[in-house]
Formats: sequence, structure tokens, C-alpha cells
Amino acid sequence: MATGGSLIRVIGLKKYYNRGAIKALDDVSVDINRGDVMVVIGPSGSGKSTFLRSLNLLEEPTEGSIVFDGVDITKSRTKTEDGKTLKLNIDQHRQKMGMVFQHFNLFPHKTILDNMTLAPIKVRHMDKAAAEEKALTLLDRVGLKDRAGAYPIQLSGGQKQRVAIVRALAMEPQVMLFDEPTSALDPEMVGEVLDVMKELAREGMTMVVVTHEMGFAREVGNRVLFMADGKLLEQGSPDDIFGHPENPRLQDFLSKVL
Amino acid sequence: MSNLITAEHFQMVAQYADLFKQGMVITILLSALTVLFGFFLALMLAIMRLSNLRPFRFLAVDREGHLREQGFAFALSRFNPVSFIATVYVEVFRATPMLVQLWLVYYLLFDKAVIDLPKVTVLGFIRLERFIPGVVALALNSGAYLSEIVRAGIQSIDGGQTEAARSLGLTQGQNMRYVVLPQAIKNTLPAIANEFVTIIKESAITYTIGVQDIMSAVNATKGALYIMAEPLIVATVMYFCLTFPTSKIIAYFERRMSRGDRR
Repeated sequence: MATGGSLIRVIGLKKYYNRGAIKALDDVSVDINRGDVMVVIGPSGSGKSTFLRSLNLLEEPTEGSIVFDGVDITKSRTKTEDGKTLKLNIDQHRQKMGMVFQHFNLFPHKTILDNMTLAPIKVRHMDKAAAEEKALTLLDRVGLKDRAGAYPIQLSGGQKQRVAIVRALAMEPQVMLFDEPTSALDPEMVGEVLDVMKELAREGMTMVVVTHEMGFAREVGNRVLFMADGKLLEQGSPDDIFGHPENPRLQDFLSKVL
Repeated sequence: MSNLITAEHFQMVAQYADLFKQGMVITILLSALTVLFGFFLALMLAIMRLSNLRPFRFLAVDREGHLREQGFAFALSRFNPVSFIATVYVEVFRATPMLVQLWLVYYLLFDKAVIDLPKVTVLGFIRLERFIPGVVALALNSGAYLSEIVRAGIQSIDGGQTEAARSLGLTQGQNMRYVVLPQAIKNTLPAIANEFVTIIKESAITYTIGVQDIMSAVNATKGALYIMAEPLIVATVMYFCLTFPTSKIIAYFERRMSRGDRR
């Protein structure tokens, strides 16, 4: 499934709170390749979400670097080869990383269509008609074209999350980050969201997914990371992680969730 | 001076109808301009107070590279001068009487030696050298009050909204403009409406610096006719006719803006 080289290289990532008293991330290093569907699992409070949110700098790491598409986005200034200083524009990098949140975070004062066209129009300067056409095509893909004029509150949780996914896709990101996308959903709505994500994985989208859905991790993921206490304790293929777990913390975790 | 309210007295007041009409126009203009400038001032103050500028951030680390945890340098490292200025402004304007502020603006700021306004009369009855200080004083005051409302509104918006906006690549400014502020203003509209109505009513004190608003018409009529009750009743009705529709109009916008709240 994996094609192409490294898209995001995480090197020695640390995130401390209270001056080091709490280590939310403790020296995490990992390479995310193009086409990877990387699933991050672990007990709550293990740093999974902090790890994911650090990738697009919603959390500012205390130490370490994140090289996205060849650029270290943790450095606010970099020197080019000819000695010029380049100032990092994080917004330019963020738009290439789509993010889906546990609580959807749709904009409640805007219709579904306006939710989807806001960033393409304001950030990518697409014209309104083109942005709307693209949005409707994407909404059609997740079966919600007829709800384009509705407001978020009029949708079910599963519908909201499907909109949130295509809202991120409208920016044509190189990678999609999912932060527990099904955790806030009623059980009968989990399937419809996972189906959209599976479809996306099949199309070759690079994805990093923090989830408690072990079935999804097994079926769709090509790499699984296990985190606990802010540390990356084990990583491997789904078969390795679920079939032959080595770390005792992982064995313990799996015995509880499977 | 008679304190019996009589029809004849009202007829006598009617001779001064033009004064009251002009007063009404001035009160409306005064309030509208105050709302306009006051609101922009409030937005600016609210954003200043919520800013995260810490120019002395580098002092957080001492010479050996350890994080400081107390002391003057630690305090200075967390100091935000922009937020500090806005806070001082808001606290001073909320803690002093409107009348004092008005007189300070008129007699000190717009003194001939500081800002010398030309003696220009617009529309035949608006004397700018008194009207402009009135607007400035009212706007400075209401900006302080409105900024607290706007700040609370901004802080009431879930952080997830900003995270979603920023993750889509919107800048901090775009996030404020398209995502946070529309929701914040919608949520605080009743409080803002209240402030707008307050401005219309408070504009009455500008007659003390010679702005010829409704209250000044009352004063002139009183001086000419030696009657007090009837002109005051006329002024009361006029103020009510201004404030009541204002709150109704804002209630209409509130309904329109809350479309996203209904299923």
C-alpha cells in the first residue's frame, strides 16, 4: 500500500507541561511515508492526540522537529543554501494537512456549503462558483449533496463528521489527520464515517488516525503505533501488533480492548 | 413655574417644535456615530486584551538556560504591554463618571491649545465644535463597555472552532473575521443592544457642553416659557421612540443570525 518516500519525519518530539513535570510526549520519532495509513492506538492520556495535534502545530512541541514535505515546520526561520533567511508561514503548511476532530468543529453559523468553501475561497483564492462546484462534488461522494444548504445543527453526528472530512478534503491536502473521529458518535453512526475513511485509504490518501476502533486499525491500517505515557512503545504492521505484541503494556492494553 | 400639566402648556411647547426636531436629529446622529466608532474601538480593545504578545519572552530563561519560575524577570517575561494598555483604558473609563469624561474631553482635549476645531455649523444647526467632542467622549466611554462584552463573546467560542479554522490554513486574522467574531457577536447581541440603547440615553448629558440635542431643547423651552413638566414629557416620549425601535431592530437581526441554531 505504501508508495513513495517520507512525507512527515518526526524527530525526537517532546511536549512538556508544568516545566517538565508532565511529559505528554517523550522523545517520539517516526517517519510517515506517502500512502501510509498509520493508526495510533494506546490508553487514554498516552499522548496520541498530542502527537497528532503536534503534526500541524496545533500543539507547539517543547523540543524536536517535524519535517513536512522537506520543510522543518518547528523552526520559525530557516536559512536557505544561498544564505537567505526564510520566515516560516505555518498557514501555508497547515492547509496541506487536513484535520478531522473528535467533536467535528463545523462552523455552526455557516451552512454546510459555506463551511466547505470558506477556506478554498479565502485561503486558496478559488472563485466562489468553482469552490461550490467542488464542494458539491465532494458532498455527493459522501451522500450529503442534498444537505448543502443545511446548518450543522440540522445534521446527525455521523453526517457532521462526514462533512468535516470532505471540508478538509476540499483543500486538497497531502495528508489527513484524524483525531478520534468516531469517539463522539452514537454507535450506529460509526460505520458510515469509517466507510468514508476506508474509501479514502483505498484511494491512496496518506492518513494518520488516532482511534479506538481496533477493527479499523487491523483492516485499513498498514502501520500501527502503540503509545503509552507519551512514549512510542511499539510499532509495526497490524499483524505484528495485534498478532504478536511484544511490549507488556501493549499486551495488557490489547487484552482489555479486544 | 406651574407644575400642573395642561394642554395649553403643550401648545406653548409646540412653538418650539423645530428645536425638538433638530434635537432629535442631533441625538440620532450623535448615537449612530458613537455606536460606529465605539464598536470599532471595542473590537480593537478586545483583540488587544486577548493578544498574546510578550516582547520580553526571552527573559523566561536565565543565563544557564533554565526556566525562571519567579522574580522580576519572570514577571517581565510574561508581561503583555498591549493587553496592559487596553486593560488600563477599560478600567479607567469604567471607573469614572461619564460627565467627568465628557468635560475632560471638551475642556482639555478640545481646548483651543490642543485640538482647535473650526466653528462650523452643518445643516444650519449642528455646531461641530461641540458635536465632535460629544461624539468622541461618548465613543471613548462606550468603547470601554462594549469591549468587555465583545471580549466575553470571543472567549465564549469553543477553542475547537479556532483549531478547525487554523487547520484549514486560515490565518489568525481570517479566523477572527470569518469564524470567531460572527459567532461572538451573535452570542452577545442582547448585551450589545443594551449598550446601544444606553448610548442613546446617555447622549443626553452632552447638552452640558452645549450640544443641541433633545435635552438642550428641553432646557431652552424651560428657560423661555418657565414650564418644566411638558417639555420633559415630550423629551421622554422622543427618547422612548428612539430606544424602543432600536432594541426591536436588533432583536430582528438576532433572529436572523440565529438561523444556525434551529433544527
